[in-house]
Amino acid sequence: MIQLEEVDKAYQMGSMTIPVLKGINLIINEGEYVAIMGPSGSGKSTLMNLIGCLDRPTSGHYYLNGEDVSKADERKLAAVRNRQIGFVFQQFQLLPRMTAQKNVELPLVYAGVSQKERTKRAIEALEKVGLGDRKDHRPTELSGGQQQRVAIARALINNPSIILADEPTGALDTSSGQRIMDIFDQLHQEGRTVVLITHDPEIAARAHRQILLRDGQIVEDQNQGKEVSG
Amino acid sequence: MSLWENVKMALDAIWAHKLRSILTMVGIVIGVAAVIIIVAIGQGGEAELTSALTGDGNNVIIQPSSKFFMENNGVIPPDFITDLDLQGLRQIKGVENVITLSYETKSLSFREEEVDDVFIYGMNDNAVLESSGLKVAEGRAFRPADFQSGNAGALISHKLKEKLFGEEDPLGQIIRIGNQPVVVTGVLEPPVGFLASLQEMEVYLPQRTWSNVFGKSEIMQVMLEVDQPENMIEVGEKAVNLLHHNHNATDRYEVLNLQQIGDMISGITRVMTVVIGSIGGISLLVGGIGVMNIMLVSVTERTREIGIRMSLGATRTHILVQFLIESITLSVIGGLVGILLGSGVAALITLLSPWNAVVSWPVALGGVLFSMLFGVIFGLLPANKAARLNPIECLRHE
Ligand SMILES: Nc1ncnc2c1ncn2[C@@H]1O[C@H](COP(=O)(O)OP(=O)(O)OP(=O)(O)O)[C@@H](O)[C@H]1O
Ligand SMILES: [Mg+2]
Repeated sequence: MIQLEEVDKAYQMGSMTIPVLKGINLIINEGEYVAIMGPSGSGKSTLMNLIGCLDRPTSGHYYLNGEDVSKADERKLAAVRNRQIGFVFQQFQLLPRMTAQKNVELPLVYAGVSQKERTKRAIEALEKVGLGDRKDHRPTELSGGQQQRVAIARALINNPSIILADEPTGALDTSSGQRIMDIFDQLHQEGRTVVLITHDPEIAARAHRQILLRDGQIVEDQNQGKEVSG
Repeated sequence: MSLWENVKMALDAIWAHKLRSILTMVGIVIGVAAVIIIVAIGQGGEAELTSALTGDGNNVIIQPSSKFFMENNGVIPPDFITDLDLQGLRQIKGVENVITLSYETKSLSFREEEVDDVFIYGMNDNAVLESSGLKVAEGRAFRPADFQSGNAGALISHKLKEKLFGEEDPLGQIIRIGNQPVVVTGVLEPPVGFLASLQEMEVYLPQRTWSNVFGKSEIMQVMLEVDQPENMIEVGEKAVNLLHHNHNATDRYEVLNLQQIGDMISGITRVMTVVIGSIGGISLLVGGIGVMNIMLVSVTERTREIGIRMSLGATRTHILVQFLIESITLSVIGGLVGILLGSGVAALITLLSPWNAVVSWPVALGGVLFSMLFGVIFGLLPANKAARLNPIECLRHE
């Protein structure tokens, strides 16, 4: 369960403090399928980075599965990112020199898993996203949609309970985007928590809950068409 | 994450920028090679110098003590070593042979050609030549009968032959030492190795011939050939005691301590090795700064990679270790190539010059450890820079 309490996030630019998130209260239960929407600059990515433990709130509390990680040290946050969170980015963020399989293996390297086990699990994950026959391709030898599927396989490799995707279809054509969304639907059906950022209402409609952010505040929160209070 | 995995990752990264990596390594390669070559020449030279100056045999040399030498203003009295002394020395247990040496400088002429200040040695045994590594190139060494005769021939050094005779055959020619005519019976080989430059104008005569030429029979140095190296110290002490007893004196004779000379030579060459070695060290330093520079570039180029790795669970320590091992790998590869290059050049030097360059294992191992240390020192700053990056900013980096 993701639980944010009065979370603020501000950036320091020289002598100026720029507030980006203001008093965010948010609970996302296990297994929820959530879309975050909002105009550019409203703080969507900032919120997602906080949820993904890539950053810490300026003030407020963040409880992840009941544990307060808002004050956790760097080592603890790295472990959370490694085991509990799977990231998918708009720009895929694959390492260009490595094959698809090696890219997918990366989280397992930092989890201390043996090479033999890594190979087995990476191939399984690639097969799951329909790229079993592309394991030896480098990112430049793959289409955008295929690259994003490699990135999803990588996010899944350590079997995290939470998948965070920041505009995962933003760099893709409609049909590749559809294919990616099919995978997210499937991940939700497996019982994982899926949180994605999108500008596309059609994609947002596939989620079961839509959160609208404006100027660093949650202005709308609809669960399966119903308004969520609080 | 294992060390081997880090090294594999480092090799991948180094391989990805082959040309750049090679250029970066050049500094380390040259630095290590230079140090290896210099130390090899130093050690080889030391070995050669020591053996050249101390000889190979078990020889104890008796000479005037420095106090006695000073008190007499360098003039050695005619009775310094008498026939009685020689008889006594021969009877010391362990002494196989007693060799005497006299020397004096004198001008020397052949026809119109005259050379001043030629070293004229008188000796009672060919062993004097052997212990100095001198061999007869033309003619013959002295026969036992020559040492009994008062008018035997002379052996002349190669340089003297060139000076006096040029292309002419010197054997059988008569030269004049002062006013005394002497027949040339042999020419010595030029000395080899780097001692060649020390080659001198020299003449060797049998002891009695020498006495006739100079009209005196003083012996300046006695060399005792000892049966076993273990007996050298004891023989030396006995000999000095005997001479002091015979001459009713103290502090007049002493044993020339070859070990001491050897130590002194080692000391000098060691200082030389350190001085020249540190010049090589400076080129290593420059190489190390090259490694640091390229690692800094690499960190900047791979900012996004760092962000990706962090988002997937890499800790700051993981990143630090990754870049540190990359810089160590880079310098150690450079170091290994440097050792190969240095050994190759040392082998060439040994092959093509009289110098004997020896690459020893400790030096090669030292080269590896040194380049490893350089990798750590010059990798720390870039690796630390990488580890302190903010993952979100890294992911946005172009
Ligand atoms: N490191 C930073 N330093 C200063 N300001 C920042 C920093 N990161 C983000 N911001 C500011 O925070 C605000 C929110 O940024 P964020 O990336 O969360 O927006 P977003 O909703 O994801 O926008 P988009 O839809 O364009 O991706 C923006 O005004 C941005 O300029
Ligand atoms: Mg964004």
